[in-house]
Amino acid sequence: MKLNRRSFLASSAAATAVMGTPMILRAQPSEYVVASSLPLTGPFATAGQLVSPALKMFEALVNEDGGIGGVPIRTTIEDSGYVPAKALANYQRALATEPNMVMYYGDSTGFMKLVAPELKGENATLMGSTSFASDLANPAENPYQYLPGPSYEDQVDILLQNIKDAGGTTVAFIFSNTEFGRDPIEHGRKRAEELGIKVVLEESTKPQGADIPTHVTKLAQSGAEHCILQGYVTGVWPQLIGGARQFGLPTQFHGTFWGMEKLIADRVTAEAGPFLSGYSGVMPYRYSYDSADAPAYQRYAAFQKKAFAGTPLENYMPTWGLQSLASLNLGIEALRRVANKGEEITADRAAEELAGISDFDMGGFFGGPVTMKDNKIGTGRVYTYDAETTLFTPSSDWLTV
Amino acid sequence: MINANLKASYGADERVLDNRYKQGFVYGMIVLLALFTMGANDYAILIASKMGLLLIAVVGINVLTGYTGLVSLGHGAFVAIGAYAVTIFNNVFTGTLPAGIMPFLSVPFAVALAAGIGIVVGLPSLRVKGLYLAVTTLSANFIVIFLIEQEVFAPWTGGMVGLTTNVPNILGWELDTKREMFGLIAVVGLATILMAQNLIRTRVGRAFIAIRDRDYSAEILGISLLRYKLTSFAISAAFCGLSGALFAFFYARILPEQFELNLSLELVAALIIGGMGRTMGPVFGVIIIVMVPEVIKITFGAITGDAAGMAQLRAPLQEIAFGLLLVVFLLKEPLGINQITDRLLRAANRWPFARG
Repeated sequence: MKLNRRSFLASSAAATAVMGTPMILRAQPSEYVVASSLPLTGPFATAGQLVSPALKMFEALVNEDGGIGGVPIRTTIEDSGYVPAKALANYQRALATEPNMVMYYGDSTGFMKLVAPELKGENATLMGSTSFASDLANPAENPYQYLPGPSYEDQVDILLQNIKDAGGTTVAFIFSNTEFGRDPIEHGRKRAEELGIKVVLEESTKPQGADIPTHVTKLAQSGAEHCILQGYVTGVWPQLIGGARQFGLPTQFHGTFWGMEKLIADRVTAEAGPFLSGYSGVMPYRYSYDSADAPAYQRYAAFQKKAFAGTPLENYMPTWGLQSLASLNLGIEALRRVANKGEEITADRAAEELAGISDFDMGGFFGGPVTMKDNKIGTGRVYTYDAETTLFTPSSDWLTV
Repeated sequence: MINANLKASYGADERVLDNRYKQGFVYGMIVLLALFTMGANDYAILIASKMGLLLIAVVGINVLTGYTGLVSLGHGAFVAIGAYAVTIFNNVFTGTLPAGIMPFLSVPFAVALAAGIGIVVGLPSLRVKGLYLAVTTLSANFIVIFLIEQEVFAPWTGGMVGLTTNVPNILGWELDTKREMFGLIAVVGLATILMAQNLIRTRVGRAFIAIRDRDYSAEILGISLLRYKLTSFAISAAFCGLSGALFAFFYARILPEQFELNLSLELVAALIIGGMGRTMGPVFGVIIIVMVPEVIKITFGAITGDAAGMAQLRAPLQEIAFGLLLVVFLLKEPLGINQITDRLLRAANRWPFARG
């Protein structure tokens, strides 16, 4: 072969490619790590213990699909006890011990806010969480954190619109005295005013072991037609509704995501009677039994039947698990998009791809294809509980805010 | 019989580090801490920083409970006061005062405020003792956290959502990494221990010990209970305030829930485990309180792997293991780990002669 400028450049490029390829191959890790903190002990242990198997299911299914760009993922789960500082230590430990960590899944609003200012430079990681706190959907301040659904403020907007559409004129806000409980209250007050709904009561309670008769008496004195409950998970909200019914109040109760778990509603119905009938609230996702139009749910159900036989997860995936799965799916999609471009996975690239998710088919979690806007997905639907069928069934169309 | 600590003058007897073992230990620790700061990984630095922050507060509790015999279950409040005071001071004076000298003003302000409120909280100690005093101090924790969370103070305290803290700037040197912060925490921590050690050989320290051993007798000897009990409260609150100020520098955000009753109980537990009324007691206690859960977590993790079922079992088992360990410690050595190390050091010193 005659060596001229063109052939020299071509040969050099080929030689570089041949020599460079093993470097790239070596640079690719043998696995990517998705680390998490969950409340396996403490006040929200019930939720944490139901979510952790879902994470392992997620790991198995993602790896079945080829992981991220052909590299398998491994999930790790640490207990936070729902203490933000413990979750922060877990995150720091994961940073120090898992060099291939590409995503982190946190477990509380407190932790997400505590860790947010730390996510910079080498410490930045794409981060989903169990929280729908409004402050977390702020890509300008923090591009790495995102919500896998509507914020609590969005959820209250949906509820207030629904109350307005049903002809409601007065509403009470009862919320736990936590950051989680207070999150949408100020916004809800303003939104209610805009819609012409009068806020007749704002009552804060303890997150656990609240003084039910006192709160119910105040609700009775307020004469509210509707009551929005916020900031509860396993307790207080059913007792408040039960107390109100015993008191003979006709108030209609509404909840947001964390107060919409069927397992809790079923247990309360079985133990204390059918008083939760008519309770409604916002759910960003379909319930797991509504799987006809959700191929992802059908795949999960097949896995659950096999892997979780004899546990509550055999035939049902709690809403808390669905939220985690939705969050992790969004994160993995962003990471795959980076990998598919042949680029090294970094938090900045992942955050950029995440923000660009548009008209993405999640396999039926939501009503249709979803778009990430301001690092959240502002869609949801109102579901109502029926104590006879023990099912939450849709009572509105999919609403986007 | 220990015969290696000969003191030939009163001056030698009065020194803070009154024998060669102590001197060797302290200088050795300084070298080790310096090497650790330079070489440890981020996770080790985080854990060590947590220990340092807790240590400063426990040294404070030791002054009150260990030396003066006054029990407090509300000192988490003073840590909160220190953390919030330093952050609010920074927020208020940013732009007015040069950033480089801010910590030299904000930290003393936070410490003084904590000490002042400590005096107020200590007032009931003149009337009540023991468990009754513990309950009255408990209320301090609830009141302070309640006030921080109130909407009316939210423009300053951030209310329920907390405050983003400031990066400390010492004469132009921004301590914006955990490693740099650990350096500061280690220096302050060491200084705090030496200050406490120094305190107990002064007139004030001896008055504290006299009050602890029998307050009536102390008063008969001419020690003013009013003055010294409140001084003890002020000093211990000041140490906790200092810990809080560093806490705010260390964490990028402070939330009221970080300073609730759990923290107060953790401080007391660390002191009891380590050894009350002993200089090294807080050090041992803090090591146990912070390190043991981490060691248990890592050990259980290595044994059980990543299986989901195991992760669920592991968490409660870790809590149980930690609880049992504390019970065993207290049963086997109610005077704390300091007593165990004393015994070991005595045996080593006398070897090959009498042990124990």
